[in-house]
Amino acid sequence: MLVIEHFRAQMLALARTPAYSSLTVLTPSIIFIFVGLSVIDSRQTANFLLGSYSIFAALGVAFFQFGVGIANERESPWEQFAHVLPVSPVTRFAAAVLAAIVFAAVAIAVLISVALLATDAGMPPRAWGRMLASVFLGAVPMALLGIAIGYWLTPKAALPGANILHLALAFAGGLFIPPQSMPDFLDSISRVLPTRHIGELTWAAVSGNSWPVESWLWLAAYTIVFGILATFGYRRDEGIRYR
Amino acid sequence: MSGNTGHAHASASDTAAAVRLDDIHKSYGTIPALAGLDVTLAAGEIHALLGSNGAGKTTAIGVLTGLRRADSGSVEVLGGNPQDVAVRRRIGLTPQESGFPNNLRVFEIIRLVRAHYATPLSDADLFARFPLQAVWRRQAGGLSGGQKRILAAALAFVGNPDLVFLDEPTTGLDVASRQALWQAVLLYRKAGGTTVLTTHYLEEAEALATRIVVMFKGRAVAEGTVDDIRARVGQSRITYRGEAREGLSGVTRIERFGEEVSILAHDADAVVRALVTRGVAFSELQVRPASLEEAFVSITRDNNI
Repeated sequence: MLVIEHFRAQMLALARTPAYSSLTVLTPSIIFIFVGLSVIDSRQTANFLLGSYSIFAALGVAFFQFGVGIANERESPWEQFAHVLPVSPVTRFAAAVLAAIVFAAVAIAVLISVALLATDAGMPPRAWGRMLASVFLGAVPMALLGIAIGYWLTPKAALPGANILHLALAFAGGLFIPPQSMPDFLDSISRVLPTRHIGELTWAAVSGNSWPVESWLWLAAYTIVFGILATFGYRRDEGIRYR
Repeated sequence: MSGNTGHAHASASDTAAAVRLDDIHKSYGTIPALAGLDVTLAAGEIHALLGSNGAGKTTAIGVLTGLRRADSGSVEVLGGNPQDVAVRRRIGLTPQESGFPNNLRVFEIIRLVRAHYATPLSDADLFARFPLQAVWRRQAGGLSGGQKRILAAALAFVGNPDLVFLDEPTTGLDVASRQALWQAVLLYRKAGGTTVLTTHYLEEAEALATRIVVMFKGRAVAEGTVDDIRARVGQSRITYRGEAREGLSGVTRIERFGEEVSILAHDADAVVRALVTRGVAFSELQVRPASLEEAFVSITRDNNI
């Protein structure tokens, strides 16, 4: 199947870029070990932080694989060639999504392994399932934001841009310091950020509470906004390159 | 060519045309790249689009392969629109030089491209045409410039398409690789395939093509067989210091810059003989092949373009 062939080629290319693949897979776990472990004092905080760092990992894949990856590809002659191969853009996009899911899954699997080995983290199977569902569904608007970055920023601006957004959204969304410990002004900013709402859903999942509907609505709204940004960016870029 | 006959959109009289461009205009900003290009290319031939840099060859290929949209005019490739996937399945083309994912291996790139076509060439068929065996497991980033060009050309043929586009296929190729590529094109033609290649060397067009279209400033200014075109653009430039004499036979153009006389002619030998027999005083005589630009300028003057 064509989507599998494109997926295979993408995975091979990414796997042979160790700087990218190892950073993507290992960075969340490394920060978890050096920063997270020191504040974990109970099973509850371990589960919370595991959820937060899983979001951080998915966010990284969304920003770097889609954002920086697309920005770099836009200028590559190979992309132009792929554009005229007999294949629909949907198939190639599906392959990219598949590759991103695999990378995010591996990064999160490493993180979970570290947490299970080094902390008291643990939850019932249903909570694991709900945690992963929140993280991966929450990654959808973030992947769209990543795509928008890829199409709106130049290749040189995309890497620092993705880095800054990644860290700023993670920090202000409460992934590194819990919202309860935030000063009021930061908390009021935090409440409108997509990462905060992915956090609320994930934290509810790991502690066995019901999902706050409000956060799903926020994410739905962000999905629409980022989807529009990504679509316009894509059209604009098509207009420049293939006019 | 079997693939073209019986195509739903092609009427009976159209079946011999693989490509039809009608009054194509295409500008980048205010710079016109194609300015009313009319071309019909017959199936089963090897066509060369011949022109200097900026003549619009690459833009024409872009429009023909569906990479670019024309501003106006109609495009028909294999009886359909080149932006349709169904038409693109019957077209092969080369990526631009060095345009490979550096860390994919040659066979992985071949495998990916091959997956897009219904009846592609086998490895054995591919090796019979292109010297790729030695680099088969090498990553594309480690290939030499010539090896990349061979891989690029192989990608155009690997899908076993009805129509192949090769944009400047032999630029940067060593003699052996060029011979291999030319053989592959000739073999492809024997099997009924149509090739459209671009070049700015008349010699390359002469060596390979069966038909030539000369492009100049975004239009087709001449088309015909290799002999037709050589007769029109294959000219010599004769320069000497001395007297300019009107009425020499076979002279396309004669110009005078101070002491120096410059003559553009189809048969340089005849012109030199005439200079001698007429007793024209000359010194510092030089004869060299006219550049394509010089030939195009004379063609476009003939055509009053």
